[in-house]
Amino acid sequence: MEVKILSEKFEIENANLLKVAKEHGAYSTLDKLFSMEPVDVTEEVKKAGLRGRGGAGFPAGVKWGFLPKDTGKPTYLAVNSDESEPATFKDRYILVRDPHMLIEGIIICCWAIGCHDVYIYIRGEYTTQVKVLQAAIDEAYAAGYLGEKVAGQDFRIDVTVHRGAGAYVCGEETALLESIEGKKGQPRSKPPFPAVEGLYGCPTIINNVQTIASLPFIMTNGAEAYSVYGTEKSAGTHLFGISGHVEKPGMYELPLGLPLLEVLEKVAGGVWKGRKLKGVIPGGSSTPVLTAEEAKTVTLDYESMAEHGTMFGSGGIVVLDETVDVVKLVQNLIHFYHHESCGQCTPCREGLGWMKKIIGKLLEGEGTMADIELLRELCDNIEMKTVCVLSAACTMPVRSYLDKFRHEFEAYAKDRVNSAPANVELQRN
Amino acid sequence: MADMLKLFVNGEEVEVESGKNLIDAIGAVGIEIPHLCYHPALGADGNCRMCLVGIEDGRPPLVPACKTPAMEGMRVQLDTEKIKKIQRDVMELELINHPVDCPICDQAGECKLQDYYMEHDLQESRMRVAQVKKSKNLDFGCGVVHDQERCVLCGRCVRFTRQITGTGELGIVNRTDTARVNIFPGRPLNNRYALNVVDLCPVGAMTSRDFRFSQRVWFLKKDEGICHGCAKGCNIHIDHNREKYKDDVIYRYRARHNDLVNGYFICDEGRMSYKSENENRLTEATVKGDLVAVSEAVHTIRQELSEAKKPLILVSPNSSLEQQWAVKRLATLSGVECFGYSDAYIKEGDGDDYLIRDDKSANRKGLELIEIETSKQRFEEALAECDLLVNFDNDLFRFDANEEMKAVVAGKKVIAISTHANYLTDNGTVVLPVASYSEYGGCVVNEDGILQAFSPVVRKNEELIDVLEVTRMLGGDVSDSGQAWSGIRSAVPELAEVQPDLIPAEGLQLSVSEEAHVSA
Repeated sequence: MEVKILSEKFEIENANLLKVAKEHGAYSTLDKLFSMEPVDVTEEVKKAGLRGRGGAGFPAGVKWGFLPKDTGKPTYLAVNSDESEPATFKDRYILVRDPHMLIEGIIICCWAIGCHDVYIYIRGEYTTQVKVLQAAIDEAYAAGYLGEKVAGQDFRIDVTVHRGAGAYVCGEETALLESIEGKKGQPRSKPPFPAVEGLYGCPTIINNVQTIASLPFIMTNGAEAYSVYGTEKSAGTHLFGISGHVEKPGMYELPLGLPLLEVLEKVAGGVWKGRKLKGVIPGGSSTPVLTAEEAKTVTLDYESMAEHGTMFGSGGIVVLDETVDVVKLVQNLIHFYHHESCGQCTPCREGLGWMKKIIGKLLEGEGTMADIELLRELCDNIEMKTVCVLSAACTMPVRSYLDKFRHEFEAYAKDRVNSAPANVELQRN
Repeated sequence: MADMLKLFVNGEEVEVESGKNLIDAIGAVGIEIPHLCYHPALGADGNCRMCLVGIEDGRPPLVPACKTPAMEGMRVQLDTEKIKKIQRDVMELELINHPVDCPICDQAGECKLQDYYMEHDLQESRMRVAQVKKSKNLDFGCGVVHDQERCVLCGRCVRFTRQITGTGELGIVNRTDTARVNIFPGRPLNNRYALNVVDLCPVGAMTSRDFRFSQRVWFLKKDEGICHGCAKGCNIHIDHNREKYKDDVIYRYRARHNDLVNGYFICDEGRMSYKSENENRLTEATVKGDLVAVSEAVHTIRQELSEAKKPLILVSPNSSLEQQWAVKRLATLSGVECFGYSDAYIKEGDGDDYLIRDDKSANRKGLELIEIETSKQRFEEALAECDLLVNFDNDLFRFDANEEMKAVVAGKKVIAISTHANYLTDNGTVVLPVASYSEYGGCVVNEDGILQAFSPVVRKNEELIDVLEVTRMLGGDVSDSGQAWSGIRSAVPELAEVQPDLIPAEGLQLSVSEEAHVSA
């Protein structure tokens, strides 16, 4: 089931070094690239059906097309490597194992959008990744792939690695821009959208690492070769980080559209220790949970996930076995998002703290059925009332757990109905 | 005249000014969209989420009105159940960690959170878990006291120090519900406009050490006035209270919005100048140090004026146009030279490029318009020759000790008609207390040539007479403001068309000056 497009060089020793990377085809697309008109590059990316791999899945080429023409201002590219979504660990493989694929993708994108200044925003905790990436960038400069004349062309590209200080919200595109500008990492109200007014008030494209790293394959092999993989609306491959209660957790590159359960069984070895599947978090902690029943029919693509009331997200799949205490999971989830709330806007700042305290009260045996109702209601009251979607990243999954595993919450409530599953009772004792 | 456009609010068509956001545009026709963080001088921030409204045109289901420009034909929903519920929901979240102790909060009565609770929420608290505890009574410097627990993190104060003063002393530290406004350790507020953050704060988080807990605001009578602290003539609210059997006391000045003069703000020095209206006032008339009735003091002044061989009249650059005109008329009728010399009101280098001016008088332009001599040389020559100085409230030695002039004055007979005790009242043969600017009405012209009118606001139990009335009692021919204006109009071409009753609230620009407008 696995394919090797993005991960082609992952297992090659020292593929992070320019010499090795070049031996395996790195930067081989540049002659072709510079022979093409930028607009044709964009069209090729559109034709390939490449969707943003950060989580939202917006078509990359279409996003590039939103850049206004002839503003007289520079255009910036911000590569989002702030991989902070819990359960998501795909981009770091690219950063460490094949950073030149990312740099080559950056060159392709810059040519397409007319950009000369690139910021790679990378999460602060990724110390190894920063070192390896910076070394690769330095090599690329020395070899003339970056700098004043990229690959001998009259085209300048400068790349700056900007380390974040460890804030989840800085993965939100406008908070990322604020952070690069040296301000507190807080999101901006949209509109204006970054493509029109982004970094330093200039048109800016923000793409995820995996999105950019997908470009060399498309340029080398053409849009059709890319769209052979996946489904009609969800083309290509994706790096899936599978974790949780599976026998073989890890990072796997798969074409989009495969049945989830089949992937779990055949690729990840199935639920560990022979236990039953309780649920699956399909694309990072912010995506609503799928029950074991729902997991039977869902496929790994944007459309199927939406049809099942959840989201494709970042491809960070978490498998939950039958022993998982959903209430504790939700507490962990709320704790994370509350901690990461930047505190800018009221519903997120105040609401997530309230939710955290309610779930804590429930777990301490002090909660009531009314608290469960209130928790559920707060999800609705907070969601989509905020500047960015950080609070929704908490309320959407929490709502899904409350709706799909309600009996487990009720088991913790003081005046609970007699519907607690045995495992929850066991854990409480 | 700004371009107008038509849009629909709750299905009703309204005409609003174009180029404004929905809060300002719709607010101008009397429809309030609740908001805490937006302020027209500071721009939109969008963090409070109180102003979320629905627009029926296919855009996202909710938009912050502070960031949404009014557009032709736009259909704005404010009264749908959905929007009302959102307002209730956001209010609930605003209040969960906010102490609901309005009766002891200094902001009670003028708190937007309290108002919105009454208008949009009215729910019982569902908070059954511990509140976030934050600090109280933090000294932020410049007389600003911060109660973090009441703060709703609207960020207006932070934006004020960044955008208006450019000093940036305030910031929001931490994140999530531990976020709070604070200063850098050891670096308190240090700017001359700091107390504006108290006015800007929509709740009781920023308070003035000077004012807090001194009055319940609903007891205060809030009138309009013009600050007489310098030549800018900032518009102010004069908040005062006359408790039963007690005197009318001013408790504070607050900035009053006027785009033509001061925008939304005033300086701290002007704000605190209310104290001089309450304190150290001259209240009793004396002749040669003996207390006398006002009538007797006036009688003595008349006698001294008639007996003097070469009297000289001095008038204040802080007096109103009407008063200056009346004093000038008295001087003319008495055959006495009239001066407005007042270099002592100028504090060189004290002004800035925003609101504060070097000239600490409110109506020096008035002296120019009415053509009262202000030159130092002419005044010194006349002073040296005169045998009686009749001073109408000119603080001759305000910032300038001018020992030479003091020595000259010391040898003269002085009649001091004054609001406050000063060097001249200390040395006056006759001392006559008069009303100060909060107690009479009139007009002043600021440094930028903007004519502004103000009304009497404070009524003391023991009312003091106005300078204009004093001139009448001394034989002048100006009996009231109307008569003063008849004279002013005929004598001053720039004011020939002015009807004082018709001076617009924002003032009348007499001459174009590049500095006349402020941006904030």
